[in-house]
Amino acid sequence: MDLFASPIMVALQKQLDAAALTQRVIAHNVANVNTPGFKKSSVSFTEELRRALGEDVLPLVTSDPRHIGAPVPLARVEPTVVKEEGTTMGYNGNNVDIDQEMVNLAANTLTYQAAARALGDRLSLLTYVIRGR
Amino acid sequence: MPLLDVFGISASGLTASRLWLDITANNIANLQTAGRPNDPLNPAYRRKVPVFAEKLRQALDSPPGQPSFNAAGVSVAAVVEDPSPPRLAYEPSHPLADPNTGYVAYPNINIANEMVSMIAATRAYEANVTVLNAAKDMALRALEIGKG
Repeated sequence: MDLFASPIMVALQKQLDAAALTQRVIAHNVANVNTPGFKKSSVSFTEELRRALGEDVLPLVTSDPRHIGAPVPLARVEPTVVKEEGTTMGYNGNNVDIDQEMVNLAANTLTYQAAARALGDRLSLLTYVIRGR
Repeated sequence: MPLLDVFGISASGLTASRLWLDITANNIANLQTAGRPNDPLNPAYRRKVPVFAEKLRQALDSPPGQPSFNAAGVSVAAVVEDPSPPRLAYEPSHPLADPNTGYVAYPNINIANEMVSMIAATRAYEANVTVLNAAKDMALRALEIGKG
């Protein structure tokens, strides 16, 4: 058994990467809150992770990973940055909603800290197992 | 490391907000800087406004395997002068009055606009500080992984 490639470790690492990317996207949106014509971006990751972990999907019987409906393997789940072009908040074509960005920021910080805590606990569990005390 | 890029992005937002505040302060300070109408040698002060632009990195620096998000914050593309005409006041005794008409040109500054710009710049600065602090908390928490 690979100690460091268990699904929970891989999922936590991916979650940390995704939260770091989300932080960059939020910082970019907030920095451009007064830029005329700027369109905000957002990160889509949770749905993909959930699908890869086999939650919230209707199981479709597949016998080969290339079949349609087979979930993406966990190792290949990547966060994607989506630009939201359709909406406009103010008169200058900018669509950054500062309230929404601040709420996303708080949620993202907590997600990052939770993932870091879970990863740390997991590693200290390994330390405990290895030392036996 | 992607998390440390956030500091640069937030710093660009802080710089832009501070420059905007500086420009607003300069506008308010020059509220009474008069000039002689139609005299290019004695122009009235004109209201200045910053033009913000989204800053993007070269797509080449994004390392392979990383999702390509080449955002790098905000930059001030230019500081332009408001083209609206100066406010004319009839003050024949003013040293800068037009000798023919007696009018003095005052800057095209509306104090209400400047106060609104000032508040907007302050709030934008605060929002960028909040993002920077959140990134700092995240980076510190990452250092605690594996500390047991």
